[in-house]
Amino acid sequence: MSKLNETDIQGFVLRGYNLPYGRYILLRFENPDRARALVSKLLPIITTGQRWDNGKPQSTVNIGFTHRGLAALALPDATLLSFPVEFQQGMKKRADILGDTGLNAPARWDDVWHGNDVHAWLGINGLTATALDDCCSQLRSLFAETRGAVELAAQDAVSNMVDGQQTGKEHFGYTDGFGNPDYLGIERNSQPGHGKQLPDGSWAPLATGELLLGYADEAGELPAAPIPHILASNGTFMVYRKLHQNLATFRSFLDEQSAVYGGGREKLAAKLIGRWRDGTPLELAPDAPDPSIVKDPQRSTNFTYGADGAGTRCPIGAHMRRAHPRDAFGFNGKLIDRRRITRRGQTYGRFVPEGELASDAEERGVVFMVLNANISRQFEFVQQQWIEYGNDAKQGNDKDPLMGNHGGHGKFVVQGDRSATNPPLVCAHLPSFVELRGGDYFFIPSMTALGMIAMKLVDPR
Amino acid sequence: MSNINGKVYAMNAITPMKPWKTWVLRLIFFVLGHVKSLQQDLINLSFIEFARWVVVPRAGFPQFGNGQEPEKLTYDYLLFFSNFNGTWNQYIDAFSAVLSKGLNLIWQWSEKFPGSVPVTLFKEYIGRVQFDTDYYFTAYPHATANDLKAAHAVQASYDDLRSRVNSLSDAEFADAYMSFVLQVQPNLGETGEAPVVF
Repeated sequence: MSKLNETDIQGFVLRGYNLPYGRYILLRFENPDRARALVSKLLPIITTGQRWDNGKPQSTVNIGFTHRGLAALALPDATLLSFPVEFQQGMKKRADILGDTGLNAPARWDDVWHGNDVHAWLGINGLTATALDDCCSQLRSLFAETRGAVELAAQDAVSNMVDGQQTGKEHFGYTDGFGNPDYLGIERNSQPGHGKQLPDGSWAPLATGELLLGYADEAGELPAAPIPHILASNGTFMVYRKLHQNLATFRSFLDEQSAVYGGGREKLAAKLIGRWRDGTPLELAPDAPDPSIVKDPQRSTNFTYGADGAGTRCPIGAHMRRAHPRDAFGFNGKLIDRRRITRRGQTYGRFVPEGELASDAEERGVVFMVLNANISRQFEFVQQQWIEYGNDAKQGNDKDPLMGNHGGHGKFVVQGDRSATNPPLVCAHLPSFVELRGGDYFFIPSMTALGMIAMKLVDPR
Repeated sequence: MSNINGKVYAMNAITPMKPWKTWVLRLIFFVLGHVKSLQQDLINLSFIEFARWVVVPRAGFPQFGNGQEPEKLTYDYLLFFSNFNGTWNQYIDAFSAVLSKGLNLIWQWSEKFPGSVPVTLFKEYIGRVQFDTDYYFTAYPHATANDLKAAHAVQASYDDLRSRVNSLSDAEFADAYMSFVLQVQPNLGETGEAPVVF
């Protein structure tokens, strides 16, 4: 396949910027003409997928719209009605499907999500805090100048720093961001374990249509997309979820359970997710972390679960084995190739190193963003069937130990063996380590589509 | 009336076949029925409790007398009946992704079958020929096939341990108990409510 038209695709879709400072601004449109005027003004500053030959820019800007936002921009009804149902409904109405109930129920979300006012999302990233602020003031002057949008809320995010260095660590201390898939046509430093597994055991990129609208997907079809085709093509859908982390609960859980677990505290932390906290996969190094594996792209994601059917290395219910089961369900992973998602996440809140006092009540967590061509088939399926349920993993109704909506009723089995340092363990009455604080589904249009929206040229035919 | 009872979905699909093609399908069924390895992919889809295809010949429909006129049917029919766990979409997606050749072999003799790939046309076809379930009994609505297999494995290990427990010394019991835990540890998932259908 030839290269994609990178200048037509929003940069955020093609790559994680890995810039340390982020701000996610949520907008409400007041008037369709003025909102379109704002989109016109934003067009030249939206960051595209064009390669950065001169290094990283000071800041980046990307944009997405909820279905209500597209309606507020007065897109034709025929187009609005052609979007997939789950996007038309928005994430709040899908709460029962997603298991966003109890502690994660919409009634408990941040205020900004309580109405139905969120029309657009602006994702801004900066190399420095100053660059981020400068970019945001430029944007805010555009809001004021066009009177096109009201800023409802701004969510700040910042990569966790350890010893003054930017890290990929989230608040529980795990190094994150290993497993994003490769897609045909998207330039990236590819490594084994990304993409899909072939019958001979090698790895290949997923079909472009698993990420982008307008291209064939893994079933050889074009993903369901709105009309006209040119509005959809080179666009995608984003799931935005603000995930609060109960750090004190997490740490006291590790303290209590490791007191009775022969593998110790760090191994228990590793068993929850499938990687040691430095990122070493348990499948490759079950006894101790090995930094040489983490640093080696030929190895850090290059493993399968076929030889560990009993889960004595990586537990069958561990987070990573659920979210990306690789070959765990047989058929060389063919059952999972149309369930992959691309994740863009950034931490928010103060990083508290181990040993310092932390509280659950402090604002702290991950702004978790998922990109996929089909929210229902990809994100919603993974969330419902693999995170909040366990039948495909043969774990019954057990949920993802780390991400599950447990509310004090969760269970997690750590499969073990006869050795003293890898014994079996059943963790019962699991609390919720992570709670949902809001979010929605957004359409991330191509640059062409943004222009069409701005110029009122969307013609459903 | 529902196709769904707890964690289980019952699917009936009935498709017409030109009678001469029925003979080809019977030959294929004969081979599939006798070469067990050809059934393995279907069996390995762990969320399928049951799947069966049956030819209903046009002369095979019941005649009760009492004035019931014999029907003049021009087609034979293929009845497909399956019980599975999970969503309708998940089921057809999996069929299309991993069993497409086998499905085509069986269904291509039916009228207007579009092939099992691409999946959207296949789903449209199944939607058209599917008949909703009038009455559906399932003994364990809170359990999937995997849950039942897991429960059997746990029960068998437990029964084995219990049958030996009185003859064991403390040290032997500790060892036997550890063996029991290691045997059952992959099979300890909870049963419960099915996820919301979508």
